[in-house]
Amino acid sequence: MPLDFSFDAIQHTEFGVGREIDGEEDFSLLPVDAAVQTALQEMARSTWNTICGFEGEGRMYEPSEKYAPQEYVFLRIDSTLAENLRQLHLANNMELDAGALNPTSAIYCYFARFTDRNGRRLTAVRRATQFKGIVKSRLIQFMTDALKIVTDTTFRLDHDFDLLIDSNLIHILHPAGFEAIGKLQEAVCGAVPENIEVISAQMEFVDFTRIQEYAESHPRAARYLASIRSLGETENISQPLLISVCATHGIGIEQVNGRISILAGNEMDFLNVLDRRMYRLELVEGTPERYKAGSRQKL
Amino acid sequence: MSVARKHEGLGFLRFIMVLASISPLFVLWAIRGTCQLPGAPCQLSNVPSQVPKETCLLPNNYFLIGCVIFIVVPNLLLLWRLRTAKQHSDTREIKVGRAEDHRDHLLVYLFAMLLPFYASNLTSWREFSATLLAVCFIVFLFWNCNLHYMNVLFAFFGYRIFTICPPDDGNPLSGRESIVLITRRATIFPGERILPYRLSNSVYWEVD
Repeated sequence: MPLDFSFDAIQHTEFGVGREIDGEEDFSLLPVDAAVQTALQEMARSTWNTICGFEGEGRMYEPSEKYAPQEYVFLRIDSTLAENLRQLHLANNMELDAGALNPTSAIYCYFARFTDRNGRRLTAVRRATQFKGIVKSRLIQFMTDALKIVTDTTFRLDHDFDLLIDSNLIHILHPAGFEAIGKLQEAVCGAVPENIEVISAQMEFVDFTRIQEYAESHPRAARYLASIRSLGETENISQPLLISVCATHGIGIEQVNGRISILAGNEMDFLNVLDRRMYRLELVEGTPERYKAGSRQKL
Repeated sequence: MSVARKHEGLGFLRFIMVLASISPLFVLWAIRGTCQLPGAPCQLSNVPSQVPKETCLLPNNYFLIGCVIFIVVPNLLLLWRLRTAKQHSDTREIKVGRAEDHRDHLLVYLFAMLLPFYASNLTSWREFSATLLAVCFIVFLFWNCNLHYMNVLFAFFGYRIFTICPPDDGNPLSGRESIVLITRRATIFPGERILPYRLSNSVYWEVD
């Protein structure tokens, strides 16, 4: 997917950190000199070059999918899964806080925001795992001709960012980093009632009460629900076909007053059907095989 | 959002900027000195009249040197800060919600600083100590209230002082604090984006 930003026309660079203090998120800017600004620009450019190195145009991020540590996926910036990243990207006049590096243990991410000459903004975010590691470990560096321990707090920048945000999309290079920074687990668990409401409206013939109860205590199910809703996978589903697929895969359901009710213990399988993860092959005559896809891609 | 106290930063520089802002006072004091003019000789006295002598609290040269230091050093440091901000591209993107021209703050400065202290008497140690203490109080207040942008030199060079309030965009991460912009612009419109240099975390300077 194209990037709505020009690296050759960067006019302004900001740097900041995300902290979690007493369970509350806080983002602050820190003043940085020209050399650090250049390093941040190179990091962002390197991230985009890596993204461009992948074949194809990438695919839409789905919370139910399992991804490689480095893989290009994207997400629309107005997605409900990217609420805090959208706020970070769109925030104006973010406050400078010279003391934002303390306490270092509270820092969970760092970010850079760039503005080009056309007024377009690019936000780049990275988890601060390296930073915490550096603070805890002992560093050495060459001073005169002897090695000495560096006792000061050191902030180490990485080679690339986890994700880039332009005016339309979140370009994700490290999906695990995106999930950690975007607090995806909390977001999808918190969105269960809303997702159930949307899906229920599209599938009035299914009683989702048991699914909701299950998803509220099982993050994996909550991720499936978020994925099903974000891809609009429940629109125009046929009741007889759904009953038929459930029977094929041995998913326990019952019909009460014309509505499908999912039996206890079958919740994940039912969600797998809605998320198009259950499939059946018959390559050997008379021996049908059923599979569950950990990852799938629409052809 | 956390309500943790933000670290203001650049405390010494803000103090220097306050000193730079009161440098006109040291100009006036340098001209006045700490000497008391002699009184008129008594004509009715039988004592033969003597040439009246000027009495000085401090030697004029020392007092003059002290005043010059307080005039030159803070302003040189202010110029150094401006240069450093330009060298390091120390800018901040500001989106304007509302802009208010605050030239009238110079009047506050005039009445709070120049007039009272110019009129004060520096010819006795008691008066001198009280005046210095009062200046310290004012400097602390200007420093604490972030009024370090009030510098007559900016006005001399055609700069105006604007207070920029951020737009109310409903974003919890957007800044809520107003900043002071020193610029040669006559007007600033809501919605404009400005890239000024940072003098302190609350005062910014826009180059033409």
